[in-house]
Amino acid sequence: MSPIRILSTILFLFLVFAVQESAVSLIHFPVTGFSLYVAVAISLIASEDHNGSLVMGFLAGIVLDLSPTSDSPFGQWALVFTLIGYLFAVNKESIADFTSSPITFVLLVAVGSAAAFALDLGFGAMLGEEIGSIKHDLIISVGNGMWSIIFAPIFLPGLRYARRFLLTSKER
Amino acid sequence: MTQGNGNRSRLLLVILIVTALFFITLDLRGVSLTKGSRSVSQTLLAPVQKTVFTVFSPIGRFFSDVANFGNTQSKINELKAENSALKSKLVKDSDIAAQFKQLKGVLDLAGRGQYKVVAARVIGRGTASSFSQTITIDVGSANGVSNNMTVTSEHGLVGLIKNVTRSSSIVLLMNDPTFKVGVKITRSQSVGVLSGQGNDVYTLVLLDPAGMIRVGDSLVTNGSEHNRPFVPGVPIGEVISVVNSTTSLTQTATVKAYTNLNDLGVVSVVIDAPTTAPTAPIVPTPIPTVTVLVTPSPIPTISDSPAPGDLKPAPAITSNKKK
Repeated sequence: MSPIRILSTILFLFLVFAVQESAVSLIHFPVTGFSLYVAVAISLIASEDHNGSLVMGFLAGIVLDLSPTSDSPFGQWALVFTLIGYLFAVNKESIADFTSSPITFVLLVAVGSAAAFALDLGFGAMLGEEIGSIKHDLIISVGNGMWSIIFAPIFLPGLRYARRFLLTSKER
Repeated sequence: MTQGNGNRSRLLLVILIVTALFFITLDLRGVSLTKGSRSVSQTLLAPVQKTVFTVFSPIGRFFSDVANFGNTQSKINELKAENSALKSKLVKDSDIAAQFKQLKGVLDLAGRGQYKVVAARVIGRGTASSFSQTITIDVGSANGVSNNMTVTSEHGLVGLIKNVTRSSSIVLLMNDPTFKVGVKITRSQSVGVLSGQGNDVYTLVLLDPAGMIRVGDSLVTNGSEHNRPFVPGVPIGEVISVVNSTTSLTQTATVKAYTNLNDLGVVSVVIDAPTTAPTAPIVPTPIPTVTVLVTPSPIPTISDSPAPGDLKPAPAITSNKKK
């Protein structure tokens, strides 16, 4: 991944992060909230090649670590998304492209979102954070996955279009 | 994956994980670089949040209303009556009028408790990237707000200040599962601990083994040392059911809060309060009996014709009683 690509990706992730923090978080979703940022980050990770998934995961995590409302130590989301990136990297061959197999891709984004929250919870518990009731945390993790299933088909075509702009001419 | 590629990927993975762990270690050791990065992002986001809130708050309120759909028939009837009453009032601008009403309620409560408060607008709700229940408000250290201050609404306790920048603050809501507050039953003066559950009901555990909880008991904050994080006497909620367990030494109960945390528009941050609890417990009443006067800000406003609902936060609003 070239430095220009890294810079443009960070800027794009910041934009999604700002939308999440200022607009999406205003909406009171039933059951639990929806993290557009996590869903977009997982989609980008799933679209990258082996090393790209790792780097994209790390960058997405660092940007999310900047969230002022986050309780977790700075770097925890980076660790979570790097591991998610690794999982996507090692299973790259079995992950279909959004255009060739959209349903599988949407399901992967949903599972990835839920897994990201579950991993964050796990690391938080290991680092001594108060994690509250398991039931509540489970509702948030699974709920986010469910909202991702609903919203991913809406934003994925646009994200695919945006990603094309993020790629350098050589990568295209 | 070829051998070379595999080795490079593994090396990259190790480097990234070590970097993440390095950041975590720095943060846990309290290095200001990592702490400061969140303050910077909050400072950058606050103006965006304010703008977006102004434009999209009606949409957010619509979704909030949808989320609360399905209450009891009596509640629906009550809301219908309230809605028809409000319709006649909301000729000009329903959003501004609603915020003004909340502000008045907030100041009413502050006046009764003799709290010195700073009024604030809610400009953001807790992000879904965190398990904690939070809101963002548009006042910060420039308005005298600092960490661990009590935040109230027109009906009672909302939460406490968790993080502050110059122009905005993050409030940990009382329904957060990690939130705990010392409370007092107004009827018996028994003391207990109230915990958030992540939804709109709370668990009360009484500390006194001989104490008794009854359905309908009102709860107020017991107060903390030097009024941090909680000032005394802020109404919290009402007991809706009592759990009698033979395995527990003390009684526990389920509590419904006075404040609807899904419908917060205007809140107030208590920046100063009497060191002792108010002589009479402050429990919200349907008809306010106290008129609250707001001392004008010493700093002149720039606007030529301020709108009635223009809720720019003053440095400090002192609420005085007037009989």
